[in-house]
Amino acid sequence: MTDNIIVTDQVTKIFGGLTAVNKVDLLIPKGSIFSIIGPNGAGKTTLFNCISGFYTPEHGDVYFEGEPLRGKATNVIASLGISRTYQNIRLFSNLTTIENVLVGQHHRLKENWMDAVLNSKRYREEEKHSIQEGVRWLNFVGLAGMGNTPARSMPYGAQRRLEIARALGSSPKLLLLDEPTAGMNPQETLEMTTLIRRLRDEFGITIILIEHDMHVVMGISDTIAVLDFGQKIADGTPKEIQANPRVIEAYLGPGGAALAKKYSRKK
Amino acid sequence: MKKSALRQSFDTGIIFGIVHIFCVLIAFNAMLGGLLVKIAGIKSSMTAPLVSALVTYAVVLGLWAGIMSARQRREASNGQRLLASLITGASSGLLAALLAAIFLVMLTFKIDPRNYLTNLSTAFMKACLYSLPSFAGIAGNFFTFVASSFLGGLLVVGWNLIGSARQKIVAVPRGWINGLQSGSAQKQLILKYVFYVLLFVVVAVLPLKWGSYWNYVMGTVGLYVILGLGLNIIVGLSGQLVLGYIAFFAIGAYTVALLNAPQPHNLMVGFWPSLVLGVLLAGLAGFLLGLPLMRLRGDYLAIVTLGFGEIIRILLNSDVLTAFSGGPRGVQGIQGPTLFGRPFDDVEYMYLIILAVILAMYVYNRLQHSRTGRAWLAVREDETVAQATGVNTNNYKLLALVLGAGFAGLAGGISAAMNQFIGPADQSLMASINVLCEIIVGGMGNIPGTLLGAFAFKGLPELLREVENYRMLAFGALLVAMMIIRPEGLIPSQRPTLELPDEAAVNPTAATGEAPDSTTGEKSHD
Repeated sequence: MTDNIIVTDQVTKIFGGLTAVNKVDLLIPKGSIFSIIGPNGAGKTTLFNCISGFYTPEHGDVYFEGEPLRGKATNVIASLGISRTYQNIRLFSNLTTIENVLVGQHHRLKENWMDAVLNSKRYREEEKHSIQEGVRWLNFVGLAGMGNTPARSMPYGAQRRLEIARALGSSPKLLLLDEPTAGMNPQETLEMTTLIRRLRDEFGITIILIEHDMHVVMGISDTIAVLDFGQKIADGTPKEIQANPRVIEAYLGPGGAALAKKYSRKK
Repeated sequence: MKKSALRQSFDTGIIFGIVHIFCVLIAFNAMLGGLLVKIAGIKSSMTAPLVSALVTYAVVLGLWAGIMSARQRREASNGQRLLASLITGASSGLLAALLAAIFLVMLTFKIDPRNYLTNLSTAFMKACLYSLPSFAGIAGNFFTFVASSFLGGLLVVGWNLIGSARQKIVAVPRGWINGLQSGSAQKQLILKYVFYVLLFVVVAVLPLKWGSYWNYVMGTVGLYVILGLGLNIIVGLSGQLVLGYIAFFAIGAYTVALLNAPQPHNLMVGFWPSLVLGVLLAGLAGFLLGLPLMRLRGDYLAIVTLGFGEIIRILLNSDVLTAFSGGPRGVQGIQGPTLFGRPFDDVEYMYLIILAVILAMYVYNRLQHSRTGRAWLAVREDETVAQATGVNTNNYKLLALVLGAGFAGLAGGISAAMNQFIGPADQSLMASINVLCEIIVGGMGNIPGTLLGAFAFKGLPELLREVENYRMLAFGALLVAMMIIRPEGLIPSQRPTLELPDEAAVNPTAATGEAPDSTTGEKSHD
């Protein structure tokens, strides 16, 4: 298990009569870019929420570096090294961008309120240090010079990148990105793809990605898992997934695989 | 002149006319006019007002109508503006004349409307007719409005005619202000210190000069500033709507009271240790209340804390605790702090409160811009995300409650000593709501807003003693107007501009060469 950063073991999440995630097993290797795809309502985000501790699965467990996450509060999970972004951007919108990143660093800092009131040495040093680091993260995601802009007044693409910067602030080992390129134009999508790849290459952060843009998914993923109606129907390399008839049927409907074959022959 | 523009001016006049009728029916004209002529040293009573007072009032209203009407017509020529103000004056004057005519009828047929409208005495109605015989009074009312409205129009036109000259005059002070703001960093610093020194001198000298009444009023304002800042930590920063906040004030106040009053315990511990104890006990109460509250959000939290506040008040009021806390009679004869063996006088209390306010502002300001403050704000913005980002939301919500309660305990302790009395009546729900309104009106989550709010809620009512009857009316109108015009409060909160290191200016592509963790040793990527 040591080389898998996340192992999900028969994870099942039920909402009333709906089984949103059904006995999903995933092995996610350390240092990889792992994509989860599937049609709308397949349970991708629910699975994310199970990993990041928003939901507790009814059955099964999620293991992070061999440690079960069951029963841990989301802030504890965050401090273990799992960060995430959200499908609908959820920034602290009235705070400035740098402050958003500083909140991201929260659990790594040690100053408490007494330090702040007494203006202690620890407070001053940590504050200086964390601001420096925050600015570096902002520069890294391409938001240089926007440190004092309120998060709510940033353009859409910048908000997405700020979410990543905030997640990076907590120095994660694992980053969960929920549709990072949703609503972006091709240029922005390309930049985002480069950014994601650099996160892995330069910092060795494992990345789990939910994404609908197949160019992005096929381009950067090491492994892909496909969910449909809460069940994992396939996993493998991008090549394997593209050739998998069950995946094609999940997207195109019954008979879709044959149709796709015919279409590709014609071409 | 277009018909629609004509109609607009006419409507404006009608609105002012209706306002005028309402003002007269509640005798607001006598009150306002009385206040205005008081400046000139003339005394006018409410029941039988002087004609000069009423005319002054009508001229003010008419001027206002004329100015509004003339300014509405942005694109119009000067003549059209004057015409507009004249029409407005005529339509409002018509309504005024109508009211005057009704008064005249009631006077001639000796109808007494005081059963329904208590202010409309015969003397008052006569004064409203400017003490003139029959129709002259009606015409007087009409022409006052027409003339003053036209005057208002003239003022607007004149104001526009001298436009260029005006701009030159305005430019001079504006230049000064710009010069002050745009100076070098050193100059700015010196200016800042000059400002602080001036402020300090004012703050230090005023309590000596303005007498015990103002010391009492401003002392109360000061206590409300402390209360407001404490509640701002809870509501403004950490975003928990707590309603029974005054209960913490009560805990601080009763701690000081019971330890320093001859009745019912005669402990006489001394002011300072009991003040510290009061703050600690209030904080403890905040902690204990907070434990079960951490599971609640929003409306539920508000209701539970409302209940808590009421429990404290009712307990203090009940017979059960009479032997312990004095019951409904409260605690009297509280011994305050002493200076060289003699109890504090009002000036010294004022200084004590000023010190406490400065302390509270300092603590609040430090907290606001620290890791703690940011964690609170994150909880306020989005609690779920804050927790998933690594903030232990429960701890921080609890901390906010404890610190906020401590502030209230401090205010309570000082208040008990200053008034030498504390009773359950001071702990009403209205007091909690007042503090909450104070920070909402002033602007949630910032110090200048809290100061302004405290002045507005505790200082203004004292200033408006003269117009006691209309206090709540004016207040309600103020609140409604404020919520429409500035829903974020008079001084909306702004996040600080942090001084960012030079890298902020670096081109992102250039900066990406050196990875973020190259200099931060604590990061642990593998």
